[in-house]
Amino acid sequence: MKLPLPLPILRARAEHFGGIVELARPRALLHVDRAMMRNLGEPESALWEGPDDGPDAQVSAKPLRAPTEVHVVLSRRCAAGCKGCYVDATPQGAALSLDEARSILDDLAAMGVFHVALGGGEALELDYLFAVADHARKVGIVPNLTTSGLGLDEATARRCAVFGQINVSIDGVGAAYQRARGFDGYHHAERALRFLRAVKPEVGVNCVVSRSSFGELHAVARLVRKLRLNELELLRFKPVGRGALPELRAEELTPEQGRAIYPLARKLMWRHRIRVKLDCSFAPMVFFHQPSPEAAAFFGVQGCVGGDVLAAVTPEGFLTGCSFAGRAEADARIPGEMQKAWPHAFGEFRDFARRAPEPCASCSYLSLCNGGCRAVANAHGKFFAPDPGCPRVQAHAAQAAEAGKTRHALPVIA
Amino acid sequence: MNEAERSTTPAALPGPRGRKRGRVLRATFGCNPNSSSLGVDVTFLLFGATFASALALFLGALLRRPRSSAQPVKPEAMKPLA
Repeated sequence: MKLPLPLPILRARAEHFGGIVELARPRALLHVDRAMMRNLGEPESALWEGPDDGPDAQVSAKPLRAPTEVHVVLSRRCAAGCKGCYVDATPQGAALSLDEARSILDDLAAMGVFHVALGGGEALELDYLFAVADHARKVGIVPNLTTSGLGLDEATARRCAVFGQINVSIDGVGAAYQRARGFDGYHHAERALRFLRAVKPEVGVNCVVSRSSFGELHAVARLVRKLRLNELELLRFKPVGRGALPELRAEELTPEQGRAIYPLARKLMWRHRIRVKLDCSFAPMVFFHQPSPEAAAFFGVQGCVGGDVLAAVTPEGFLTGCSFAGRAEADARIPGEMQKAWPHAFGEFRDFARRAPEPCASCSYLSLCNGGCRAVANAHGKFFAPDPGCPRVQAHAAQAAEAGKTRHALPVIA
Repeated sequence: MNEAERSTTPAALPGPRGRKRGRVLRATFGCNPNSSSLGVDVTFLLFGATFASALALFLGALLRRPRSSAQPVKPEAMKPLA
């Protein structure tokens, strides 16, 4: 890729450590220190308390002044009826209105949010989706989209040029799609990918990795390669929404699969020469393999970032730390409420590292992992517990069981 | 910033005029269309700390390059949000 010089800066936002700079090409968010912000001509910020190399200037000293991105769940409305839908979407599900969505985007822009992930439900079923995306662009936020691709035609694909990244959900190729989703929609999804790829290069695949789909990932990676898509995102199956139904709970990864996912992702990347990403809930399984903590920190490889880097707005209009878990912290439909709530909210997410129980407390990756996925922990009974899918937590629980200390046994996935 | 982050990039050295040049502390690439994919970019994590350190220096150098006042910018560009 030929880099434009100097790097074109779209926006810069002050933070306690310095600031976050948004680049247009390559599309990137850079955390920079205070000296760099000054060098870029940014004004002094009231957030820059204490000396530049003091404890208050460390990135981890406090949460960001606003999330860098927000998942705006536009609706719980979708006709597909996927059997494991996380938001329990139905054809008549709740949805934000266009005016509400616009107002929320105005507020997010005022807070300095860079990206929104628009989803649902099936966002393309909303006739005002493109008006929402246009408004996001107008206020300086990059809108991104996740879709099932069902019903997406060529004309709609052309309109999708407004989005930054678009990912189509494909949990398996051919019959594997039907097994994962409960209906035969694979050919529609692949057709949508082809239409979208003809319009823009920033098109990828979302693939939920479950116990039964674990063995199908090479086929999905081959599809990503064949269609020249720019990424494969592997998302951990979470027992939330319809995924929490008894018949689906057994779809959580086995301990062996949990330990194998990171090596498998690396293999997919090398063998198929594609970009592979794992979602934040996979962080404990990645850190189990002890990657370089310096590289992880630099590339923003983190576990739970709810209520800090990431937040969500539900179709009912509430601000939460994550779209899978967390209490409503503000009514996002009321102008200014999100900004007012942000500095002091989300204690249930932000306090984990400080109050972490064992075995997280003694884990050298705690500051990066933050205890793994709160949504999964919550689904197993305790929001504040260590991630029950973490190999280290599972080993700790096994040791405790062997030693007979099972009175306060940690929940783990078997 | 934790211990890991501090050791990733070299100290912010003074520039030719004695002013600190500043550092890139973290870099995330692309856009995220998902509710939860702020996780692991396997592609980058494979290359390790040396690559991260070199990339930090490289991006820092590119960021600091002088900007022409005639450079076309979008309306919202360079508008500080603080």
